[in-house]
Amino acid sequence: MAASKQSMGRLLVIRSLKLRMRRVVIVLAALTMGAAIITAMAGVYFDINEKMSHELRSYGANFFVGPKEDQGTLSTTDYQHIVALLPEADRVASSPYLYGLVQTDLEQVVAMGVDFGQMKKLAPFWQVLGERVGVSFDERNVMIGSKLAQRLELKVGAKINLLQGNKRHTFTIKGIVNSGGDEDNYLIVNLSFLQKWLHQSDQAHYALFSIDNNMGQVSTIAQQLKKQFPNLVSRPILKVSASEGKVLDKIKLLMGVVALVILVLSILCVNTTLTAMMSERRREFALQIALGAPRKQIMSQIMQETLLMAGISIVLGLALGYVLAQILGHTVFSASINIRLPVFVLTVLLSVSAALLAAYIPAVRAMKVDPAKVLKGE
Amino acid sequence: MSEFAIETRGLVKRFGQVCALDNVNIAVRKGEFVAIMGASGSGKTTLMNILTCLDTHTEGQVFLDGQEASLLDEDGRRNFRAEKIGLLFQQFHLIPYLTALQNVMLAQHYHSVTEEDAAKKVLEDVGLGHRMDHLPSQLSGGEQQRVCIARALVNDCPILFADEPTGNLDEANEKIVLDIFQKLHANKHTIIMVTHNPDLGRYTDRVIRLQHGKVIEEVQN
Ligand SMILES: Nc1ncnc2c1ncn2[C@@H]1O[C@H](COP(=O)(O)OP(=O)(O)O)[C@@H](O)[C@H]1O
Ligand SMILES: [Mg+2]
Repeated sequence: MAASKQSMGRLLVIRSLKLRMRRVVIVLAALTMGAAIITAMAGVYFDINEKMSHELRSYGANFFVGPKEDQGTLSTTDYQHIVALLPEADRVASSPYLYGLVQTDLEQVVAMGVDFGQMKKLAPFWQVLGERVGVSFDERNVMIGSKLAQRLELKVGAKINLLQGNKRHTFTIKGIVNSGGDEDNYLIVNLSFLQKWLHQSDQAHYALFSIDNNMGQVSTIAQQLKKQFPNLVSRPILKVSASEGKVLDKIKLLMGVVALVILVLSILCVNTTLTAMMSERRREFALQIALGAPRKQIMSQIMQETLLMAGISIVLGLALGYVLAQILGHTVFSASINIRLPVFVLTVLLSVSAALLAAYIPAVRAMKVDPAKVLKGE
Repeated sequence: MSEFAIETRGLVKRFGQVCALDNVNIAVRKGEFVAIMGASGSGKTTLMNILTCLDTHTEGQVFLDGQEASLLDEDGRRNFRAEKIGLLFQQFHLIPYLTALQNVMLAQHYHSVTEEDAAKKVLEDVGLGHRMDHLPSQLSGGEQQRVCIARALVNDCPILFADEPTGNLDEANEKIVLDIFQKLHANKHTIIMVTHNPDLGRYTDRVIRLQHGKVIEEVQN
């Protein structure tokens, strides 16, 4: 019994769409376009965001080497080997990075150990108040992130003491770093000092390289390192300058606006088409009501038709959007785009909402049709 | 239960200033075959719409199978249509994307459950056994109207309302439709038929004549 109710319902939905293929195709095209644009834009957005989340701070660097996730640290001996492997002409700058908690006379802070001699080229975007520490093994001067300096109320030239048991080491603050990134929160000290102080000789968390890539060397180097150091992760990272970062934000905004505009256009198009389609079908709905159909059922029939079209459009739109994302990714960012889970969710939710929104008014109007007027035989 | 299938007392229907029905008092017994006649604009369709719960009246009382219509809400009126009456219009209103058989089954669908065999049986009864899987667009006018009749009959509803059912048919098809009506009448169905054609009136038990929204004459045949 329930089965026959359902099958008549299904019949009404599917047959009615089949009869009006031309309008259905228009609705499908509009919804597919909307879904494709959402997929493409959101795909690029999330992927680029993710790719850059821990790499944005390395504006100057374009190559990352680190331990595989489960294997603690990167040995600086390995780092030296890698440096030795790189063609001298291609290597612009590089430094291992080591992080650790240190006790100062004020409070406990995160220290970042780097090779100061390399930082001018590796982190050219650092805005420095005072001066950069320019010597690799400087044990008297440090730099400090601007946020940390502000919190500790430290000025250029001030002293800061590191404490460990009875040990005490005094540094002078030579420069305050403002990068807009995480370094703003760190005390930046020379790597070999930090390794000694933390009893982690030979260790770093990862290393960043700035490698000349004018002939696409980076990917070759990545291949080579992968073979020679299978225990390490070596990969190129998107090289983004600070100003490029701002452009990127604008591109993201632009993508959002484009997606929104297309979505609105697609809603309008679907709405217009459905309005025409429903007014063609007034007699059908009037008849169904005269035969005893509950008005709600007319509404639900139209919504089911709409959802069916939305479903087909989402499948088509995801496929088309994937292709579009790759084209966008390659032309704008020179990278292929992985479509991430939130993109699917977003595409489905937005497409379904758009379709239902577009169908709502035509459906309500169809539901309110007056059979006495429409069916009257003149 | 009431002896009347339908009854109106002092029925008035106004559309703004227009008084389409003015103090109409009629009663149709169960099993009776009644014709409603009158010039165009005399209020026949308006009366049918009120009796079939497709419209509401302005004043007076309407009893449908003993139940007062103004006490019914939208759901009650819908149930009345689905359960108690078969409807036939001058135009052959069929769902264009459903076959003859499916159109008939649609009435079952809104009434209770679809039963294909029962639907096939009524189509055979109206002489369309060979046309069940055709779409309305593939049927002649007479055949379409017979599908409508089959649809009106499939739920075994006791009252059949027909608003100029033969108005768009040629004589041969008119005859077929009337034959079906007479068979139904013989089977104790109540039939209320609007018509222009005085010849058709002779087939019925009684003719009710409307003019300017008033009953001006009732003739027992
Ligand atoms: N929905 C309506 N709004 C306004 N006037 C109407 C409406 N329906 C019918 N009328 C008027 O009511 C009168 C009766 O109409 P109707 O019942 O259709 O006549 P018939 O079916 O006898 O030709 C006519 O004057 C018509 O113009
Ligand atoms: Mg009329």
